[in-house]
Amino acid sequence: MLNPDPIWLPEAQQRHFRLLLDAMARPGTCHAISNKPEEGPLVLSVLASLLDAEVSLADPHRLLRSDDWPKLQAASVAVEQADYVVCSGARVPDFTPSLGTLTEPERSATLILVVGQLGRGTSRLTLSGPGIANTATLQIDGLEPQWLDMREDWVSSFPLGVDLILLDEHQVTALPRTTKVELH
Amino acid sequence: MIERNIWVHALTALPADELLDLTASLSDDWQVRPKAIPQAGLGMLRLNDSAFDEPFFLGEFPLASAWLEVQTPDGVIAEGAAQLMDERLELAEALALCDAILANRLPGWEQLALLLEQGMARREQIRRERTQMLAGTQVDFSLLEDAGDDDA
Repeated sequence: MLNPDPIWLPEAQQRHFRLLLDAMARPGTCHAISNKPEEGPLVLSVLASLLDAEVSLADPHRLLRSDDWPKLQAASVAVEQADYVVCSGARVPDFTPSLGTLTEPERSATLILVVGQLGRGTSRLTLSGPGIANTATLQIDGLEPQWLDMREDWVSSFPLGVDLILLDEHQVTALPRTTKVELH
Repeated sequence: MIERNIWVHALTALPADELLDLTASLSDDWQVRPKAIPQAGLGMLRLNDSAFDEPFFLGEFPLASAWLEVQTPDGVIAEGAAQLMDERLELAEALALCDAILANRLPGWEQLALLLEQGMARREQIRRERTQMLAGTQVDFSLLEDAGDDDA
């Protein structure tokens, strides 16, 4: 009887989860998101594959609509305690996300940054580390450089830190905490 | 009318097909949108043990839930929801639709109100039968005293 938007169905969620795994395994590579939401922002496609009732979410920049929350099921909490934080990359970060603990580094936050465009733009990043042969380059438009400064602080005490997922209107990429980032 | 919090209890006493057919015919030209993702699966009941206050799961049970929004052709928008211990998603959706129709008196609510009455009558019948069965299993321990103590 009910026909939910395909992004909420297991087939699309599994496909997007696979995409995120690939993005995390090969930092800086861009992957096209196959299923876009019929209504609402593209970040819903990513969130739909990551969240359930067991995790928490913060949306300090109000990128989501009130109608999206019941579908995501995640608890809304303060940004400092959230398992997932969705933010606008164009705005300066004014919080410290959860960085995990030495015994439970996996309890740190995953930040999902919505940027203007991936693959071209004013910010040119050189990436190195696990999953990257030598170095890789990633260009981003609409990312406030202060995000990268803050990230540098947040990941400086490995294994504590945060993982970043970046997406524009079409594709997604990831910067796990193990990736070394240089901004040019 | 019967209290809203027992509508699902009453309606699930009736044959599911009857409910599914009626809701399908009532909502034929309505727009029905999910407010939350309809789900069917297993629920787990978590309790804390009384000795160490440690959490444990008592067991699993089938659980289906639906929360939807309907819009009738004349523009009326209403919401309904249902959660029941059953594995049939379509039944949860039909009951959520019933909830929306009854709570907002949408077209066809009178038919559903009749079904509610039938459902409650059926529930009452089931309750009486169970009470009778339970009464049949009662043991009158006072008779033991009359039988005396053979070991004395």
